[in-house]
Amino acid sequence: MTSSRIRIAADSVCDLPADIAGRLNIHIIPTYVNIGRESIPDDGVSLDRERFYHELPHMKAQPTTAAPSPGDAAAFYQSILADGVDHILSIHVPEKLSGTLNAMRLGAEAVGGDRVTLVDSQQLTFGIGLQVWAAAELAAGGFGLEAVLDAIERVRRHTSVYAIIDTMEYLRRSGRVNALTASIGSLLKIRPIVSVRDAEVSAISRQRTWARAEQRLRALTLAQSPLERLALLHTANMAGAKKFLDSIRDSAPSDTLFIEATPTLGAHIGPGSIGVATLNADWRL
Amino acid sequence: MATSSIDGRRLKRGFHAGVDRLSQHVELVNQLNVFPVPDGDTGINMYHTLRRAYEEIAEDDSADAGLIAARFAHGALMGARGNSGTILSQLLKGFADGLRGPTLTPSLFRRACQAAVKQAYRSLTAPTEGTMLTVAREAVECLGQADVCGAALKDMLEAMTAAALASLENTPNLLPILKEAGVVDAGGMGLVCFLQGMLGDQSAMPPGLAEHAREIRGVAAGGAYGYDVQFLMIGEDLDIARARQDLEAMGWSVIVVGDRRTIKVHIHVNNPALPLDYALKTGAALDDVVVENMDMQYQRGLVRQRARAATPTSDSAEFSVVAVVEGDGMQAVFRDLNCEAIINGGAGHNPSTEDFLVAIQQLPSRPIVILPNDRNIVLAAQQAADMIEGERVRVLPTESVLQGISAMLAFGDAPDAKADLDATIEQMSAASAATISIEITRATRDSTYGGLQIKRNDFIALVDGEIRSASADIDIAALGAFAELDLQDLELATIYFGGGYTERAAAELVERLKAPLMELEFEIIFGGQSLYPFLISVE
Repeated sequence: MTSSRIRIAADSVCDLPADIAGRLNIHIIPTYVNIGRESIPDDGVSLDRERFYHELPHMKAQPTTAAPSPGDAAAFYQSILADGVDHILSIHVPEKLSGTLNAMRLGAEAVGGDRVTLVDSQQLTFGIGLQVWAAAELAAGGFGLEAVLDAIERVRRHTSVYAIIDTMEYLRRSGRVNALTASIGSLLKIRPIVSVRDAEVSAISRQRTWARAEQRLRALTLAQSPLERLALLHTANMAGAKKFLDSIRDSAPSDTLFIEATPTLGAHIGPGSIGVATLNADWRL
Repeated sequence: MATSSIDGRRLKRGFHAGVDRLSQHVELVNQLNVFPVPDGDTGINMYHTLRRAYEEIAEDDSADAGLIAARFAHGALMGARGNSGTILSQLLKGFADGLRGPTLTPSLFRRACQAAVKQAYRSLTAPTEGTMLTVAREAVECLGQADVCGAALKDMLEAMTAAALASLENTPNLLPILKEAGVVDAGGMGLVCFLQGMLGDQSAMPPGLAEHAREIRGVAAGGAYGYDVQFLMIGEDLDIARARQDLEAMGWSVIVVGDRRTIKVHIHVNNPALPLDYALKTGAALDDVVVENMDMQYQRGLVRQRARAATPTSDSAEFSVVAVVEGDGMQAVFRDLNCEAIINGGAGHNPSTEDFLVAIQQLPSRPIVILPNDRNIVLAAQQAADMIEGERVRVLPTESVLQGISAMLAFGDAPDAKADLDATIEQMSAASAATISIEITRATRDSTYGGLQIKRNDFIALVDGEIRSASADIDIAALGAFAELDLQDLELATIYFGGGYTERAAAELVERLKAPLMELEFEIIFGGQSLYPFLISVE
């Protein structure tokens, strides 16, 4: 793959698998997970996701998450530009939900702001990843900035992210989304189905049993057909994700991905959850 | 009503006598209780409906019969409680609509009665024969017969009342559940009482009916729930014999002692307002009024609170929910699930149409879904919804509080921000139907039901409204209900404890259920409902 004039960058919340990122020259800046007094970058090396979720229920204090520093961001952009790149299109976790985009903006200003275009993905996990992936494919194909931005917008409109939150315990403790937890209720044990759209995480269904929640998730997923891309997301629940895929096998693309979601999100939702990120094929129309 | 036509004042006196006669037979109507679950409140519901109706004309001296009928009907519509009260209010509405004009003539009377029956049938999506509806219809049908047609008003009313009584006696032949229980229809009995009162008939009920009611009442007397009401009646020329007779018809454990100037009354009733109201109507002044709740768990009982509007949880909510819920814990669950208005009520104390209207008026003007959460509250809720302009207020006819919770969980279940009311209701309806309800309560009398021998005070377990097991041991009754379920695909049982039972009792029940039901997960929640030690949803 030849290096194109536009290079795509993103943060680790996008959950794009490393092989795809590597193949398309996508640069990923890690966000941080703070466990106890340690701040660990989610760079795919320092933090073992499987181990993190395994240990999460036993941690004394709920882990917190942190954006990269403006200094990290500046160094990150500097290293990409040093590679002979004309322009960086940098796609990130929503400003509403994270300080990442602000740090990236400060970092971009430090290296000469006109060479970096920042995009608020309005999405989470592979909902960002789908935008990053499509953008990198177009950039690699030689498309200009306008065309790539337009594609990102269309992908966003055709993306859905839904997840079954197995327990409300972590969301409640994290305090990040009080409006969400209030809309669900706290007296009964509820497994909500959440949707991410327009940088909002909202509960769209309140189920009490796993079977019903799965049934609802299936209906939501199939409503997005025809699917060009599909990722099965999970937090330490590969078995659940596989079982779910089996139930929608006929509608799933052959290259459906399994992604263990970033601990940056997982710290807030806890283990046991499954979800989907879908891209409806009509985005190309 | 001996003349061939009457004016508003005469009609008002007739209505008063009708209400009065029903008030004397409230207990008798209540006790014609088909199910041995403690929800026999037909008499009270009809009485409240009519009392509210009469309030509307109590100060009215109009000579215009049409006006009196219209106002009486309006009061009935507002006060309608329970299914029987609501049907009664529809009969009165139809009667008033059919009676245009200041003077009630025989031909106008016939037309109004026919309109009454038509209106009542029209108000129900699936009218059931063998109920008050049949009694009303057959009573009115006799007005078309040659010998009645053209008769004087009093003769018409007399023929109608006789036909109503005959129809009432026939109701067990139309409705198998009545036959099995060996009773006539309670609502029909209430209607007969009202007609007899209007006619000026003060005779005792036919021996067959009264005897039967007495027999049932003999068992139910001393039932576990109700109020202990004591007061003094103070007046100039009190009729103690009459007071004793009237009060005895209202409740049990009745003691009436005193003289012409002071009467001491002690009575156990389901509705403490009844004896107090009665005493005031005799013209006596009241003193030393004591109302005690005989069951600590029946705290709120019949002293209903006005609908309380919960704080709206979200201004952006597209719809609001109004639910009828009883019990602190249950109400907390509904509020937690974002129910905006809760009307305190349930089996034994049904809210009126007016209670629904008050609750609706307190909410922002957006679409509303009402969850009645009791079979006997559905019609009053529907009537309230019908009284609101357009299609803004809709009733999802949940038959139990557990169905209501399932519906509440599905409330707001929509992937699109702007779902319409139909889709919301459909979603809620499917959810409420998908959950299995187990209700455990005590039998109010000996009976056999579906092959089960049930003794008074036995615990009975209803699965989706049908009695499926009975035992003196509450855990065994519950186990019996679970044995009826197909456990395939069921994951979770939620036990709401109340009715005087503690969390510990619920935990003990779970221990007993766990062994045979290993695949189920259990959750214990405080419900605080009266009458039902355990309400269990299984899904």
